[in-house]
Amino acid sequence: MSGVGAGRRFSLTRWASTGFSALALLTLLAIVSLFLWQALPVWKLEGTGFVTREKWFYRQDQYGAAPMIYGTLAVAAVAMILAAPVGIGAAIYCACFLPPRLRLGFKVAIELLAGVPSVVYGLLGILLLRDWVYVALERFDVLSGDSLLTAGILLAVMILPTLITLADDALYHVPLSRRLAARGLGLTCTETILHVTLPHAWRGVLAALLLALGRACGEMIAVFLVVGRQDNQWPEKLWSPRPLIEAGQTLSTKLGSSETNIAYGNPVHWSAIVGVGLLLLFIVTTVTIIGSKVGLLGKRHET
Amino acid sequence: MKRKIIDHLFRAITALCALVAASVLAVIIGAIWRKGASAMSWEFFTVQMKEAGVSGGILYHIAGTAILILTAFLACAPVAISIGLVHGVYLKREHTRRAVMLVLYILNGVPAILFGIFGMMVFVQYLGWGKSWLSGGLLLALMLLPTVTVAIVARIEGIPRGQIEAAAGLGLRQSQIVHAIYLPRSFGGLITGSLVGLARVAGETAPIMFTATIFAGATLPTGIKESPVLSLPYHIFILAQDSFDPAAGSKLWGTALTLLLLVFAFSIIALIPRLKSAVAQHHD
Amino acid sequence: MTKPILHVRNLSVHSGRRTLLDSVSLEIPHGGVFGLIGPSGAGKSTLLKSFNRMLDLTPGLRVSGQVDFHGSPLYHRSVDPDALRARIGMLFQQPVIFPGSIFANVTFGVRHHGTVRRRDLPQVAERALRDACLWEEVKDRLQLPATTLSIGQQQRLCLARTLACSPEVILMDEPTSALDPRSTAAVEELIGCLAKAITIILVTHNHAQAAKVCGRVASLSSGKLEKIRGFDLEKV
Repeated sequence: MSGVGAGRRFSLTRWASTGFSALALLTLLAIVSLFLWQALPVWKLEGTGFVTREKWFYRQDQYGAAPMIYGTLAVAAVAMILAAPVGIGAAIYCACFLPPRLRLGFKVAIELLAGVPSVVYGLLGILLLRDWVYVALERFDVLSGDSLLTAGILLAVMILPTLITLADDALYHVPLSRRLAARGLGLTCTETILHVTLPHAWRGVLAALLLALGRACGEMIAVFLVVGRQDNQWPEKLWSPRPLIEAGQTLSTKLGSSETNIAYGNPVHWSAIVGVGLLLLFIVTTVTIIGSKVGLLGKRHET
Repeated sequence: MKRKIIDHLFRAITALCALVAASVLAVIIGAIWRKGASAMSWEFFTVQMKEAGVSGGILYHIAGTAILILTAFLACAPVAISIGLVHGVYLKREHTRRAVMLVLYILNGVPAILFGIFGMMVFVQYLGWGKSWLSGGLLLALMLLPTVTVAIVARIEGIPRGQIEAAAGLGLRQSQIVHAIYLPRSFGGLITGSLVGLARVAGETAPIMFTATIFAGATLPTGIKESPVLSLPYHIFILAQDSFDPAAGSKLWGTALTLLLLVFAFSIIALIPRLKSAVAQHHD
Repeated sequence: MTKPILHVRNLSVHSGRRTLLDSVSLEIPHGGVFGLIGPSGAGKSTLLKSFNRMLDLTPGLRVSGQVDFHGSPLYHRSVDPDALRARIGMLFQQPVIFPGSIFANVTFGVRHHGTVRRRDLPQVAERALRDACLWEEVKDRLQLPATTLSIGQQQRLCLARTLACSPEVILMDEPTSALDPRSTAAVEELIGCLAKAITIILVTHNHAQAAKVCGRVASLSSGKLEKIRGFDLEKV
């Protein structure tokens, strides 16, 4: 691959680069279009009922994804409620209180944690977490430790490293001159963090939260192993905590189940599966885009 | 004094949060080491699986994972460098550049299972490959792309403008500047980005479970069509589900430990250049 | 002779293997402007930052020796650096403006000290802005963002912010290097006025400025004290 040639306007490197880049873009478009196209039949069948109906019985051609949407959001919500305070607290400690050497060590530990595969988290969820949850919830008459709550707790641990790294980056990059000016006025470390560092970096921290949320919504393997994979778990009262301690199903776990293989022969069933994938794609992409925009706003605010 | 108390309290609470996060790592490593170390032996790595995981080793699982990540890297590298060059050299408008980065972030956020479904439609069914190592490799390449590209873009952005201007001032054309300055710099980003990305991608189960891997019955691939591979994460995934034979127990944990060590090795190697530059800074 | 407000005793500061300050000893009297001059890297800023324990905030520094403030040692377990920095204020080379209004900026430090009631803040702000010779220019736009001020005004705002805390000493680290000549002259005149009640320690690389503004000047080179104008060559 060489673009050398004095006097030649044509550059192989440039054409190859543009070509490959276009390929990548086309692939992304292909994914979206393919999903949209393949999901059409179920949309024709159910219309908006696909999103609002609560019953999924594929043998009777009933496809209501609402319980799975609930499952995805519930699991993600539990994960965020648990991970956000711990993650932001840890990020604050790392960015503002730790001396340089320890900070380096901590960041290495978090980086390693971020690389742990989902299947390993799932395995530990089965081994450790499931039993702890079962024991803790025994008096509520649960069938097992597999539940939306268990999945949420496991997810909280999984998104923690991402959250900490991104939030720490945002906090660490608050200009030193501002922090020193505040300390020079006699503000304590905590006051500086609360009144200077966080107000400056809140957009970056919010972006970190959103990106972690996106990951929580899309995670499949670990959730699959501890969520119970029970369809049609639609809560009688949306805000009651009861459904959390029972088994459930999320959009991602449905996709990872054996039903996906079964579905392929049947156009409507298959389009329902793809429709679930489309819903998941929509939710995660929206969160990711908002997170990126907020993050960019944060970076621009700095300069 | 009230302010001092609040300061100490805040410091203590955030320290506790950091401790929780760090101890998670300790728990994970500790649990897997404790249960998996007994399975680790030379034999474990060099012998193939027998009796559905209860005995034997994980030779072909390691081979399968290696094939998948090598394919992913080779497929991803030219595209990542291309996008890096397009972003850093050929695109003029900031507007388009930001769009490129946004697309990369979106791609990075796409859940792994959706790549699996996509792969099912395109590779398994439409192209008629059945389960194939190549499908897995290509899908993993897609997942790898954003991480590697962002690393390359960062490297390219770090090139001092003075170098470019000096080269242009010497009469080099754009393509020559690309070859002389941009490409060499990108390789560093390619390596670091790939190590970080491969660490993540090596452990992915969702993209390959429908498209590239099976639980038993494969050794090395023999072509493209109907050539699945065994893989470390899928092996763990299957054995982990309800009906796993306790006799296979320590092999399962041994596999998990192997995967964990592999992933950590990639991460640590990727960290070395960053650690070196960080330590160097502190000696000023 | 009255006791000095700050007394430096054999102060040495090391960073790794580099020596930033080497056994510096000097006395700074009450009131007036005390100058610290010397070439780049001589240790002037380091010495300045030792007075309000800002050195604590730079990781990896080793401090030996002692600095006494009103006769009591500062580098001691019992000293609260945050409370100290309310009594010894600091002005930096680049004015640092916080987001918010001019009023919010002036009261930024004193708001947290707990020494002034909320309803007294406007009075404190006005007095500080007057002392910084900025009141007339901003009195009608206190609620406007502080970023609308010119850089010379911003620096005076930073000074007002420090004054609002009622410090006994103000440390100034090259406060006029980022300013144009007119603003520089304004700040120099201001320093002269303030020095009647407050002790000011001024780091500058501009000998002319030192001669104009300072009552006493100590010159540093390579971390060591060279001489103090006004005394003979003997070191204190």
